[in-house]
Amino acid sequence: MIAVPRLRLDKKDRQSLLVALPFIGPWVIGFLAFTAYPIYYSFTISFTRYSGFGDATNIGFTNYEHMYHDVLFWKSMYNTLYYVALAVPVGLVIAIALGLAMNQKVREVAIYRAAIYAPSILPIYALTFIFIVLLNPRFGVLNYAIVTLGGPSINWLGDPAWTKVSVVILAQLGAGGPALIFLAAIRGIPSELYESAALDGAGAIRRFYHITLPLLTPVILYDLILGLILGLQIFTPAYVLTQGGAGAGAGQYVAGPDNSLMFYVLYLYKTAFQFTDMGYASALATVLFLVSVVLALAIMRTSRSWVHYEVT
Amino acid sequence: MRSFSGRGWTASLICLSVVVAACAQGGGSSGPPLAGCKSGTTLATFWTSHTPPDSDSLKHVVDTYNGQSSVGCVKMVQVPGSETDVTKLMTAVRGGSGPDVYMLDRFTVAERAAAGVLTDLTKYGAGNLSSKYVDFAWKEATFQGKPYALPLDTDVRALWYRKDLLKAAGVDITPLDPANGPVTIDTVRTMANKVNHQDASGAYDVIGFVPWVDQGWHYTWGFDFGGSFFDSGSCKVTPTDPKIVQAFTTMFGDWAKALGPEKAQTWVSSFLPPNNPPQQWPFLTGKTAFIITGDWPLNWVKQYKPDLQYGVTYIPIPKTGDTPSTWAGGWSLVIPTGAKHADAGYDFMKYLAGPDGMKTYVTETQHLPTWKSLGSDASLYQGDHTFFATKLLPVAKSRPPIPVGAFYWDQLSTAQDAVVRGSATADKALADVATNTNAKLQQFCPLK
Amino acid sequence: MTVRSVDRPLVEQLPQAGRRNRRPLAGLLQSAVTPRVILIGMCFLYLVPFYWMATTALKDNPELNIYPPTLWPLAPNPGNFISAIRYIPFPQFFINSVILTAGTAIGAGISNPLIAYGFARIKWPGRDFVFAIVMATIFVPFPVLILGLFDVFTKLGWIDTFLPLIIPAFFGNPFYIFLMRQFLLQLPVEISDSARIDGARELQIFWHIILPLAKPAVAVVIIFAAVAAWNEFLLPLIYLQDESRYPLAIGLQFFRSQHNVQYNLLMAASTLVVLPVLALFLGFQKFFIEGVSVGAVKG
Repeated sequence: MIAVPRLRLDKKDRQSLLVALPFIGPWVIGFLAFTAYPIYYSFTISFTRYSGFGDATNIGFTNYEHMYHDVLFWKSMYNTLYYVALAVPVGLVIAIALGLAMNQKVREVAIYRAAIYAPSILPIYALTFIFIVLLNPRFGVLNYAIVTLGGPSINWLGDPAWTKVSVVILAQLGAGGPALIFLAAIRGIPSELYESAALDGAGAIRRFYHITLPLLTPVILYDLILGLILGLQIFTPAYVLTQGGAGAGAGQYVAGPDNSLMFYVLYLYKTAFQFTDMGYASALATVLFLVSVVLALAIMRTSRSWVHYEVT
Repeated sequence: MRSFSGRGWTASLICLSVVVAACAQGGGSSGPPLAGCKSGTTLATFWTSHTPPDSDSLKHVVDTYNGQSSVGCVKMVQVPGSETDVTKLMTAVRGGSGPDVYMLDRFTVAERAAAGVLTDLTKYGAGNLSSKYVDFAWKEATFQGKPYALPLDTDVRALWYRKDLLKAAGVDITPLDPANGPVTIDTVRTMANKVNHQDASGAYDVIGFVPWVDQGWHYTWGFDFGGSFFDSGSCKVTPTDPKIVQAFTTMFGDWAKALGPEKAQTWVSSFLPPNNPPQQWPFLTGKTAFIITGDWPLNWVKQYKPDLQYGVTYIPIPKTGDTPSTWAGGWSLVIPTGAKHADAGYDFMKYLAGPDGMKTYVTETQHLPTWKSLGSDASLYQGDHTFFATKLLPVAKSRPPIPVGAFYWDQLSTAQDAVVRGSATADKALADVATNTNAKLQQFCPLK
Repeated sequence: MTVRSVDRPLVEQLPQAGRRNRRPLAGLLQSAVTPRVILIGMCFLYLVPFYWMATTALKDNPELNIYPPTLWPLAPNPGNFISAIRYIPFPQFFINSVILTAGTAIGAGISNPLIAYGFARIKWPGRDFVFAIVMATIFVPFPVLILGLFDVFTKLGWIDTFLPLIIPAFFGNPFYIFLMRQFLLQLPVEISDSARIDGARELQIFWHIILPLAKPAVAVVIIFAAVAAWNEFLLPLIYLQDESRYPLAIGLQFFRSQHNVQYNLLMAASTLVVLPVLALFLGFQKFFIEGVSVGAVKG
C-alpha cells in the first residue's frame, strides 16, 4: 500500500524535500498547469450547457442524466470496451511473439527487426488509407489470402460484425514498438537459466512457459496498462475510416455500418466539435476518466497474484 | 565529461535555437498588406477548406479583388476541414486567432450561429441582399431571422445513367431523356435489374442501381417523395412524415431486400469504400448503370473518361405526375465571432458572393451560383451542366436550417443504414430519429 | 522490469525429462531454418503496407482506375514524388515537423531523467505517494484535457505557435518517467551515497555520475518521444492555425479534398514522411536495442 505522507516533517525530512524539489519541480508545475487544471475545468463544464462560446449555463446533472438515456453513449462505450477486450490480449500475444522472433540468432536479424518495427512509425493517417485498400472485400490482399486458403470472403468494413476486428488488425501493425520492449526484456533473462533447463531436458516450449513468461510478467503488466489506456482512447483510425462522419461529403455511414466504429473518443470529438455541445462532451470525458481508472486499478490489483518482480 | 564540455554547449545552443524558432513562429497574422494590394487597405484573412482546383479559383477571385479594392487586402489560407468538421475554426475563434472570413457549409450556418461562432451580418447591411439570392440559399444563411452568412455556390443532384450498359442489356433508354420529363422509380427499377450481374462466386459485380449510395441520401429520397423534414410551427423535426417513411421503405428497405442486403453491402464495400478516389467511381468503371450524384463528377468524366456514354436526368419520381425535386447543398461565407478586421472581411465577402466574384468562381469550378441573376445566364454552363442549372436548380429544396443540423443528419444516416440492413423498420428507425433530435432541438425553440 | 532475485532456481522446479530422445520438432527448432522462415513470413506481412504505399506512389492516375488494382505499377512514375512535394508546401511542412520533433525530443530528454532522478535516487517524505499520482495521470484520457488545455494556452497566447506542442515535453511525461525510474533504480545506491559522503551536491551527482550511466535509457526516451512527435496528428490539428506552421502529419490531409483523394500523391508523400524515421531507426538500432536491454539486464 502506498503510505499517505505524514504531515509533520522534521528537519531532515524538510531538507530532503528541498533537495528533491528542483528535480521533481518541473513535473509538479506541468501537472498543475497541464493536467490538474484541465481536469478541474472539464469537470465543472460537465455541469453546464456550453457551446464553447459565450456563456456556460449551469444545468446541474442534466448532461449525466441525458447520457444514461443516450443510445450512442452506450453504443460507443460498448464499441470501445469490445475493442479493448479484443485488442489488448491480441496485442500482447503478438508483441511477445514478435519479441521472440526479433531475438532469434540469425545474422540478418537487424533487417527483420527494422521491417517489423517500420509500420509502427508510419503516420496512422496514411496507414489507414492503405488499410482500406488492403481490406477491400473483392480486391484486397487480405481476402485474397483468406479465400485462397479456403475461407469466406469477409466484408471487413461493411459488416458490423467485423469492423472492429479490422481496427484490431490495423492496430497490430503497430506492434513493433511494444515488441522492442519485450525484446529487451527477453534479452535481459540470464542465459544460464535456459542452459540449465536445457541440460535437464526441458524443451523449448517448456522453457518458455517456466522461465521466459514468469520473468516477463512485469513487462506484460506494463504492456497491458499501456494497451488499455491507448485502447480506451482509440480515435484516429475511426476518424479516417469514417472521414469524421456527418455531412454529404462523408461516406455512407456515420461511423461504420450500424455505427459499429463509433468509438467513445470519436463520439466525444463529434459532440464537442461537430455538435458544439461542450458541456455534454465534458461529461463524456469525465465518465471515460472514471472507467479508465476503475479498469486500470482492477488490472493492478489482480497483478499482485501473477507478476513476479522485486524492485528496490 | 567532468565539465560543461563542448557537447553540453552544443546541446544548449540547439535547445535555445529551437525555443527561439518556436517563439519566432508565434505571433499573429496581421502585418503590412500583401503584394498585389493597394496601400492603405486593411489585411483580412480568409480561410477555406477547399483544395485545388476549387481553391485555385478562389485564389483567382482573391487576387482580382486585391488588385481593385481600396478597403481590404485578403490573405487566403487553406485549412484542413470539411463540411461539418470545423474544429479548426472553433478552436481558432476560441483562441482569439480566428480568420476574418470563413467558407462554411451553408447547411451548418444555423448550427454555428446558434453556438455563437458567427457574427450577425445585419449591421453590415446584409439584410438588403436577401432578394438577390435564390430563396432556399438565403433561408439557409439566416438564423432567427438574421443573416449570418452570404451564400456562395450550390450544387444539385440528378440521376446519372450509362447509356452503353443499358443498351447492351437490351433496355430502351429513350424514356430517360430529360426532355421527356422525369421517369418513375418503377421504370428505373425494371431497367436497372436487367443490368445486375453476379460473378462465379455469387457476389455482385454489377448492380444496376443502388439507390442509397453516393448522393442517394435520406434527404434526397425524402424530398423526392414529397416529405417535409421540419415543422417550424411546432419547432419539431418530422422524419416520421409518412412520405419520408415511405421513401425509406421503398428505396432503402425493400430495395435492399430485393438485392439481398449483405450481397448489396459487399458490393458497396468493394466499389465504394471510404475515401474512394474518383478514378474508381463505380459509375465510371461500369459497375453500376444508375447513380444519384451531383454535378461535380462532370469534371471527373472530363478528366478520366471523356468518351463516357452517359446521360443525366431528373431524380426518378414515385408515380407519374409527381413534381420532380432535388436538394441543394453548397457553401457560404461567414465572419466568425471576434474577427479583428470584420469590415474589410465583409467588403471582400460582398465581392466574392456578389455577381462579379461569384461569376468567376462558378465559371471556373462549374458549380452553380446562388445569385439569382446568374442562374439564368446560360453562358456560365458548359455541356450537361446546363441541365443542372436550368432544370434542376429551380426545383431544388434545401435542408432545414436548424441549430442541430449536423446531429439530425447523423441520426437520419443511422436510420438509413439500419433500414438498408433490415435491422429496423422505417417507422421505428425514424421515430427514434425524431425522439433524439427533438430532445436536442428543444433548447432552441421557438425558432423564427 | 527487472529481476532482482529468483526464489529457487527455476530449473529445480521443472519435472525431470529424462534421457528421452529429442523430439524431431525440437531438433527442427534448433536449426536456423525455422526461425528464418517464420521471420521472413512475419516480415512479409509487415511489409505489405509499405509495399502498397510505395507501389501506389509510383502509379499514374489512369492506372489507379484499374480493377483489380495491379500489383506492380505498369509504368512507374517517380515524378509523383516531385508532384507530391509541390502539391503541398512539403519543405515547409518538413521543417515544421523537424522543429516540433527536435523540440519535443530535447524536452523529453532533459525533463524525464531529471524528474525520474527525483523519484528514484533521492529519498524524501511522500515520495511514493506523489509517484502514485504521477502514474495515475497515465489514466487521464486526452479528451478530458482538450478544452481546459486550450483555455490555458489561450490565456498564455500560445495558440497558433509551436509552444503548446513543445513546452509540455519539458515538464515530463508519466510513461517516460516510469521508464527512466525503472532504469535508475537499478544503479547501485552506493554510487550516490559515496558521492554524497564526499560532499557532492545532488545536481552534481546527477550530472556527472548518474546521467552518463543512464545514456542508453535516455536514448530510448528521446527516440520514443521523437517518433511520437513526428507522427502527432490531433494536437497540431487543434493548436495550429496558420498553414505555414503545419507539420507533415497534418499536411497529408491536403491530399484529400471534398470530392477527391489524390491517392498516388498521398502515398508518395507518406513514403517521404516515413523515410527519416526509418533511417533514424536503422542507424540507431543497435544502440537503441542495447540501451533498452541494458536497462533490463543490470542487477
